[in-house]
Amino acid sequence: MSTKAGDILALERLRNGEKDALYSLYDKYSGALYGVILRMCKREDLANDILQDTFVKIWQKIGTYDSQKGKFYTWAYRIAKNTTLNALRKTDNLIQTEDLNVYDNKSAELTKPDYTALNGILKKLEPHHRRALELVYFQGLTHREAHEEMGVPLGTFKSYVRQALKQLRQRYQNEALLVLWFIEALAYG
Amino acid sequence: MDKKKIIDEGLLELYLLGELGDKEVVAVEKALNEDMELREQYRIMEEDFERMAFENAVDPPEKVKQSLKSSLESENKEVGVRQLNSASESPTFQRSRLLVAASLAALFALGSFWLYLRWQTAEENLQLLQQQTAEMQSRINDLEQNYQETNMRYQQINNPNVVPLVLVGNQLLPESKVIAYLNHATKEVVVNSQGLPTLDAEKVYQMWADVEGEMINMGLVPTNQQWISLKYIDHAESLNITIEPPGGNDHPTVENLISNVIL
Repeated sequence: MSTKAGDILALERLRNGEKDALYSLYDKYSGALYGVILRMCKREDLANDILQDTFVKIWQKIGTYDSQKGKFYTWAYRIAKNTTLNALRKTDNLIQTEDLNVYDNKSAELTKPDYTALNGILKKLEPHHRRALELVYFQGLTHREAHEEMGVPLGTFKSYVRQALKQLRQRYQNEALLVLWFIEALAYG
Repeated sequence: MDKKKIIDEGLLELYLLGELGDKEVVAVEKALNEDMELREQYRIMEEDFERMAFENAVDPPEKVKQSLKSSLESENKEVGVRQLNSASESPTFQRSRLLVAASLAALFALGSFWLYLRWQTAEENLQLLQQQTAEMQSRINDLEQNYQETNMRYQQINNPNVVPLVLVGNQLLPESKVIAYLNHATKEVVVNSQGLPTLDAEKVYQMWADVEGEMINMGLVPTNQQWISLKYIDHAESLNITIEPPGGNDHPTVENLISNVIL
């Protein structure tokens, strides 16, 4: 639907089997995807593997990507999310063991950065809006799972998501206007 | 699926998050294709989500990219190695195939030879059987012929019209004894010569019928035979046997008369 020109070129090269195009897309999108993966699985070592798997799948499945149906990032996000959910299902027992290890070594845990903290405009949203987006987008929960997690009815939860997206849009727009105003101010003195 | 429903039920968000089922995905994609406003709304949503994700991006460790590169390179190498292996193994593979082919050929040859031997044996057995069958057939034919002949002879002698006559040897050859069966109805004469002593090669027995004093040739009488058919002579008054030169004689050598019987 709306893929940037640079991405279009990289995607075309990727379809032709050029690995450099994949590495270029990795440089651009790996951080955003890693942020999602890490918040979902909460384990750096597992997140590393999942990120790698995600890009291997992108490499293998690029032929199925249709830019008319959406942005590359959205497509890649779905791959990352599904890969993470599958990995979490497989390593569920392992995660339990790892959690116990964490209790044994609290000092090491304290030195780790808090990957679950949210940044940007999201941080400025009302807590329940932020939480709703966090659950469905950064933790990979379905709407049904998320509304139970938040302890609100499904309809209410859906409203939270919609309101959160609306606020997100407004704030991004305001931010864009502010940038435009700043540029104009600089340009015209 | 109409636009209102898609918006009200938050299907665009769910579509973006990959939570819709196949049917709903098809319906939403169809609506997006057909409705520009909806498409624009989705585009904005995608951008917002993407921006949100970028704002919350976490730089992955450099080792992940290196690992990804190694993974893809090794994938290539594996393909290359596979290709190389397949290329380098090609002669071995061909040799193996040749060995297999040779083994199969040898097995086939052995099998064929074994079958040939079996066939030869079967052929020999068949020939033997055919030979035995032929012999059996011949014997059966002989037996049948003998039976028919015996039966005929039996019928010839076991007949009220048959008159058996015994020709006992005279002083020239007292040990001789010939039995003659005469059938006046059918005008047949059959002789059993088993009782005649064997003669030198230059001599034969010959039988004569005496008709009003004239000796008429009935035929030669070989020795040691059960059934000898001779010529029936009408109005014969006696039967006589003489010893004659080989091939018989036109006229009997009376001094060599060894036996006779009066009818």
